[in-house]
Amino acid sequence: MIKVRIPTPLRPLTKGQGEVDTQAHTIVEMIDTLNASHPGIKDRLCDDTGELRRFVNIYVNEEDIRFLKGKETSLKDGDEVSIVPAIAGG
Amino acid sequence: MSNLIIPQAIHDDMVIHARELDPYECCGLLAGTNGTVTHIYRIKNIVALEGAEKLSSFDPAKAEHLGRLSPAERAEIAFVMDMQDFSTAKKDIRNKGLVLQVVYHSHPHDPARPSITDIKIATDYEEIWPKINLPIPAYLIISLMEKSKPDIRGFWIKGGTVTLAHITTAT
Repeated sequence: MIKVRIPTPLRPLTKGQGEVDTQAHTIVEMIDTLNASHPGIKDRLCDDTGELRRFVNIYVNEEDIRFLKGKETSLKDGDEVSIVPAIAGG
Repeated sequence: MSNLIIPQAIHDDMVIHARELDPYECCGLLAGTNGTVTHIYRIKNIVALEGAEKLSSFDPAKAEHLGRLSPAERAEIAFVMDMQDFSTAKKDIRNKGLVLQVVYHSHPHDPARPSITDIKIATDYEEIWPKINLPIPAYLIISLMEKSKPDIRGFWIKGGTVTLAHITTAT
């Protein structure tokens, strides 16, 4: 089981849940699985070509996937994934 | 809260950054050790990218407002950090053994104090910083309301409460 932390802006898509458990072997598979149960989440995270949008980061056990294998980063049972929205302000 | 010491050169560089992007907002990070800033990292403001306002922690009203504006207009009243730049900076900060100390951005048209949006997002982010192995930074705002006299102020934003951060500029 993979534990995924959902940031506030995406919680409307997860019925308010801040954490979601899922099964996946890679980040790309995790996003597809999440999207199946919470439609619309993939579009928020990835652009039309499937690449991670520049205003989001994904961390696996506190390590940025941009410095692992990107969306092909592998996941194993017990991993914790954090979806982190961009730092922003007005 | 501890004080922050910012070298004059980095202080000046933030003003240069803000002026270069005026009338758009600039953003960046400051890092150092023991409360003394030693490095500045400019981060791209990507608020103009399609969908950026939806994934940031803007409240629904602000996100809707931003959605109605042109990309250029959005960048005059908001910033969204390019997280690829952020990741690169974060890695460099870690490799150099530094600590993230400040998130800065400019207010081209407004005073140097956190907006309601700034406070909301900083408050939302409080729970994120420890998860990505970073301390809660001070927030620094460069106001260009008076173009010839930029005003820079720092703040701590915790639990929705804003307190002034004491900043010393060192030569």
